Amino acid sequence: MATLTQNNLDTLKACRYCPMCRQSCPSEFISYRESDAPRGRAILLHSVYQGGKEFDSSTVQAIYNCFLCGACKSWCSGQELGGYDIPELIKFARRDIVSQGLAPQAVKQMKDSLVANDNTANQDKKSSYTASVTEHTAETLYLLGEGVNYTNPEIAEAFIRILENCQIYYTLLKDEPTSGKELDLLGYREEAREKAKSMAGRIKATGCKTIVVSDPLVYDALKNDYPEWGISLKGEVLHVSEYLLKLVCSGKLKLKPTSDKVTLADSEFLGRNNGIYEAPREVIRASAGEHFAEMQWNHEYLQSAGEAAFTFDGILFDRGKELGRKISQKAEDIGAEIIVTLSATAKNNISATTGLKVMDIAEFAAIQMV
Amino acid sequence: MKFTQNSYMFDMILFELQDIAGKEHVSTRTSDKEVYSIDYFWISEMWHDRQAGRDIIRPMADFIVHPANAEEVSKVLKVANNYKIPVTTWGGGSGSQGGALPVFGGIILDTKRMDKIYKIDEKSMTVEVGTGIIHQTLEWELEQKGLSTMHDPASSRCATVGGFIAHRGTGVLSTKYGKIEDMIVNMEVVLPTGEIINTLPVPKTACGPDLNQIFIGSEGTLGVVTKVTLTIHRLPESRKFRAFIFKDLSTGLRVGQRLISENLQPSVIRLYSENETKEVIKKVLGIEKTGAYLVYGFDGKQEMVDLQMKYAKAIADEEEGEDLGTDLGAEWWKNRYKFFFPPYMFHLPQCFGTLDTVATFSNIENVYNAMKDVVETKYPMARFIGHFSHWFPWGAMLYARFIIETPPEDPHEALFLHNSIWNDALRAAMKAGGVLNEHHGIGLKLSRLTPELYGDAWKIVKKLKGALDPNSIMNPGKLGFGV
Repeated sequence: MATLTQNNLDTLKACRYCPMCRQSCPSEFISYRESDAPRGRAILLHSVYQGGKEFDSSTVQAIYNCFLCGACKSWCSGQELGGYDIPELIKFARRDIVSQGLAPQAVKQMKDSLVANDNTANQDKKSSYTASVTEHTAETLYLLGEGVNYTNPEIAEAFIRILENCQIYYTLLKDEPTSGKELDLLGYREEAREKAKSMAGRIKATGCKTIVVSDPLVYDALKNDYPEWGISLKGEVLHVSEYLLKLVCSGKLKLKPTSDKVTLADSEFLGRNNGIYEAPREVIRASAGEHFAEMQWNHEYLQSAGEAAFTFDGILFDRGKELGRKISQKAEDIGAEIIVTLSATAKNNISATTGLKVMDIAEFAAIQMV
Repeated sequence: MKFTQNSYMFDMILFELQDIAGKEHVSTRTSDKEVYSIDYFWISEMWHDRQAGRDIIRPMADFIVHPANAEEVSKVLKVANNYKIPVTTWGGGSGSQGGALPVFGGIILDTKRMDKIYKIDEKSMTVEVGTGIIHQTLEWELEQKGLSTMHDPASSRCATVGGFIAHRGTGVLSTKYGKIEDMIVNMEVVLPTGEIINTLPVPKTACGPDLNQIFIGSEGTLGVVTKVTLTIHRLPESRKFRAFIFKDLSTGLRVGQRLISENLQPSVIRLYSENETKEVIKKVLGIEKTGAYLVYGFDGKQEMVDLQMKYAKAIADEEEGEDLGTDLGAEWWKNRYKFFFPPYMFHLPQCFGTLDTVATFSNIENVYNAMKDVVETKYPMARFIGHFSHWFPWGAMLYARFIIETPPEDPHEALFLHNSIWNDALRAAMKAGGVLNEHHGIGLKLSRLTPELYGDAWKIVKKLKGALDPNSIMNPGKLGFGV
């Protein structure tokens, strides 16, 4: 059994008997169970790391039911309290569970697929958007991430239209590999680092100076995990929304005004982990101006779209609509006509629950492009 | 009824419960049983904290059921009666008295799926909700419309509305807006034997006893409240605070009593004893002063608030308070919940308890002194602090606490010390005119003292329990009822 870091120990002690952030936790309100709330997870992990118990299968399930969205940490920080870091504690526990060979079957299958196929769902690489692209050297590299690459190629197509319209010379990675982020979140750090090294090598080979990323998980990996693991990237890493804002500010990208009421679904991994809140808003405002409206929950108090909601109760998580509906409901409440999203997961989970237009920031910009 | 988890009878009962609520809404998982064995009661936490290397166990439920509505609750209770299985209702699990702990096993009835907002009536100024809703969630929705229940406890973030009803909860604005029992218009209740009843449409009638008041504060021993209509208010145009330091607690109490009796209608009065001012106010608000810290607040129309603030200040000035100003008053409001969150809240390995009680203005200072005296005299290892949070036309509530930095390591000895302090402090309070509790409830923690508090009147409560819950399945071991 692994030894807790001081940071994890502090979290364990503070959170095990404190239920004060529970209303923020999206997983608790999927199951309504106390074991799916931050306090419940801390109680269970206290029993393991301080109480001398072994991981049993239901505790393992509870640890994998966390969406790692960071809502609990945000709420704790927002109250000017400790900002105790449950997601870090959960990631630590998952690595420990993996090292003890106790990961649920669904998690193992996902890991095997990521290692073999560079995606979580055993999809044939030939079915990906990047299977047919030609890779070459370029100053700008566009990374799609699994969601865009396999299920939402329209997001990539929209962004590429913008790049070409702005006469940006770019490249993509043929058969784009995984960044390793999903592997790390599932508890497989060594495998994640191997994938990260491989990805870094592929990026280096393009000679790019700017790396533009659609997927918040990939962005988070490149920005935070890679440096922590000693993997350096020479290029500047930007999310698509940050890159679009640069294009808008430089005058290369001009957007038509819209009179539609537009709102934004913030991203948990872009926002809470990287503080990216304003760039997508500025891009939207460049077109929608005063027609941009905030939903009730925004910035660090965003509602999770389930960007890292991989499994629940030992099986693949298939209840993203329940998370999406909470967001679309709030958009409908303010009379929004368009919901702009920042990940393929968010787009899919939200669009399945509403008649409103739901589109990625790249699609929004492409539609409004002059 | 006793059964083992590996028996087919266990599976037969499990099947019945799954048939009622749906398979995914009934859990027998070890992880769930573990988490539902701990609420905010110090002993349940301590027992969990000290488990390493010890042969101690926590009482755990056999089944955790998440019903969707009163009909499902009714069916669950009928099954429980058929097999004489204990049923313990669980809301947010944030109660400090052990009221939600399944001490005799059986069924945990988690109400949080009953979380719908059915109707916001801005004409009658009421809201109808399922009692499983987390109170903060309700407040956020009301806030969108410029409304609030004005029930504002620290536990708002984690407690259910049903939990407040179960133990007669209160909030920081209670001095103006009342406790939860003052906010209830009507309720839907599932009786222990499964009948679903509704109390009268409005509470202020001359149609006999108020049934609401039988179930409010009954802590899940007389039934399960599944739906409630609460009063709501418009958010105030203005809310202002002012803080003072008074030379001693007696002066602070006199100021509080005058703010009430001179009809200024404050929404908040909070008075801290000299030692709590020194310890807690310093830690949370950074104010280092000698004396008793008092903050008051008013809300409503701007001009009325200004006038109320003016008259209140005149009283404080007459009593020679050191004026800390409105900014330090507002600072208290901003930080009002911090006291109850880590790292500010007391925590293990400390042993601590909130000895809250209430008494008339004539008695309340004597109650404070009696409790302080017995704790400090008999338990020199304990600190005693207190503040006065909730004020009524006739008296005030004392939120007293004891804290022991290093209680015995042995959990049995720690429990004995903890309970001894509670017994001595509360017996001293009752002797001086106080009661066992004001807004946290009785639960398991104070169950043994409840018949003592009621005296001969306890027979009536016992008869009521026997009539409504003939098989004694509802939350056994709590509120003085035993099993």
